[in-house]
Amino acid sequence: MKNYFNGIWTSATTILGGMGITFMHLIRARKDNVTLQYPEERWPRPERNIGFDHDNYNVIRTRLHVDMDDCIGCLKCERACPVDCIKIVTEKSPDRGNDIKDIKHVGITSNGTKKALVVTRFDIDMSECCYCNLCTYPCPEECIFMTGGPNSKKHPIDYEFSEPDRDNLIYKFAKSGTKEGLDKFISEKSAEA
Amino acid sequence: MTVDFLFTLFSDLFPSLVNSDPLLMMAMLIPLVATFGFITIYALVVIYAELKVSSFIQDKVGPMGQGFGLHAGKFGLLQPIADALKLLSKEDIIPSSANRALFILAPFMIFVGAFISFVALPFGEFIIVSDLNIGIFYILGVGSLAVIAIILAGWSSNNKWSLYGGMRSAAQIISYEIPAGISLIVVIMLAGTLNMQEIIIYQAGGIANWIIFDNPFMPIAFIVYFISALAETNRTPFDLPESESELVAGFVTEYSGMRYAFFFLSEYANMFVVSVVAVTGFLGGWQSPFASALNSPAMGVFWMLSKTALLIFVMIWIRWTVPRLRVDQLMHICWKVLLPIGLFNIFAVAIWTVVIG
Repeated sequence: MKNYFNGIWTSATTILGGMGITFMHLIRARKDNVTLQYPEERWPRPERNIGFDHDNYNVIRTRLHVDMDDCIGCLKCERACPVDCIKIVTEKSPDRGNDIKDIKHVGITSNGTKKALVVTRFDIDMSECCYCNLCTYPCPEECIFMTGGPNSKKHPIDYEFSEPDRDNLIYKFAKSGTKEGLDKFISEKSAEA
Repeated sequence: MTVDFLFTLFSDLFPSLVNSDPLLMMAMLIPLVATFGFITIYALVVIYAELKVSSFIQDKVGPMGQGFGLHAGKFGLLQPIADALKLLSKEDIIPSSANRALFILAPFMIFVGAFISFVALPFGEFIIVSDLNIGIFYILGVGSLAVIAIILAGWSSNNKWSLYGGMRSAAQIISYEIPAGISLIVVIMLAGTLNMQEIIIYQAGGIANWIIFDNPFMPIAFIVYFISALAETNRTPFDLPESESELVAGFVTEYSGMRYAFFFLSEYANMFVVSVVAVTGFLGGWQSPFASALNSPAMGVFWMLSKTALLIFVMIWIRWTVPRLRVDQLMHICWKVLLPIGLFNIFAVAIWTVVIG
């Protein structure tokens, strides 16, 4: 008989205690919740210390980015890549050194170099990239770089680049229509001649 | 009451049709459609509340979105609509070895069992579909239809899990109707009537006159009723018929799409019915807690719905706190705890009323 009432008492009090705990979680949900609304919110990047002021050194390992306005198509980065994830195709510019209205890419880079080649394909497969940073050093125009860090003025940091499809990890930097514009230009030139 | 009111209204408007069948059908169809619309909207709201409350209790944020068209709308407000659309567009599968006729019948039957209880639910002083003089008895009676539907669903699926779920629900719901009825008998003893509206009118005059505060035994009767109501609606911790960790989904294992949605809808409709009965019997129905203040027919609907919403919130709260019971514990609580307490309550209240009240 005593056990019977003890059992009822224990179950009633423990259930009420449990409900109290869940209610406290309910009313403090805003403060306690740990969910991150991922695409809108991100965890802060931790501060790191690598022994020297890394703003001055190109040591960041993130997504590669190419500033196509400065690229002269010299293929130095493609040759440097140890995993061959950079693919570049270039065409000779019909009028070397002169500005061409149809093709914006043939012109003068920010370093003052005249662009002799039209880059019709510049693909970087970031799923193959090993983040060795070797492609950025040979670049004479400093137009291929890793985003963020010391380059954050040129491009904000992008270290996640999550994609629903693996093919989207192949970044195509060459401006669309370049090949067609070049063909059209060449055909017009040959028609004139 | 609403049917009678509409009937006399239509009789006045169309004198040529007085006492004809179309008039009666019109007067019945309007409350029918209104009730069905109410259940649908209420179910969407409660599904959203359940998602949010369960998430907050687990320190999550629940369905979220940044605005219309993105994810699930602002604060995930479109989530229940998305759920409903998903259930509507799902393939309707009937197993080849199932008993086809009974398999199709079961979801409609369980929904009808929940739906016809709404006939006697008082939403306000004048808003009740039909003011039956045996209202509370009628609701307890038609509430048992769910057992037949669940056994039908379990048996006709031709699946071991479904059959286990159906059998468990038969044992559970039939057992728990006894403590539920016994705890409501105490209310009927005090109010002296089975009529829902008259039980509420008996509790007029503020919070102190509510039946739950009538004498020290009434809170116990309320708790006994509430626990039995949880068991009758198959809510956690008494969701043995569909215990998903042991029986996959119990009696709804073979159901999909719209037929599953009907089981879902009737569970939420049943929650509303038992909450309204608890509010009517113990918490003063549509009466304001402040005597005559804020007490008008329009405020009555507000008080009724807010008290009901409070009880439904407690049901959701309990669901996310207490784990499921074992079958033997379930029967122990019903027959060895709730039933003796309920019977003791009848005698105690009777003696209290004669000696003190």
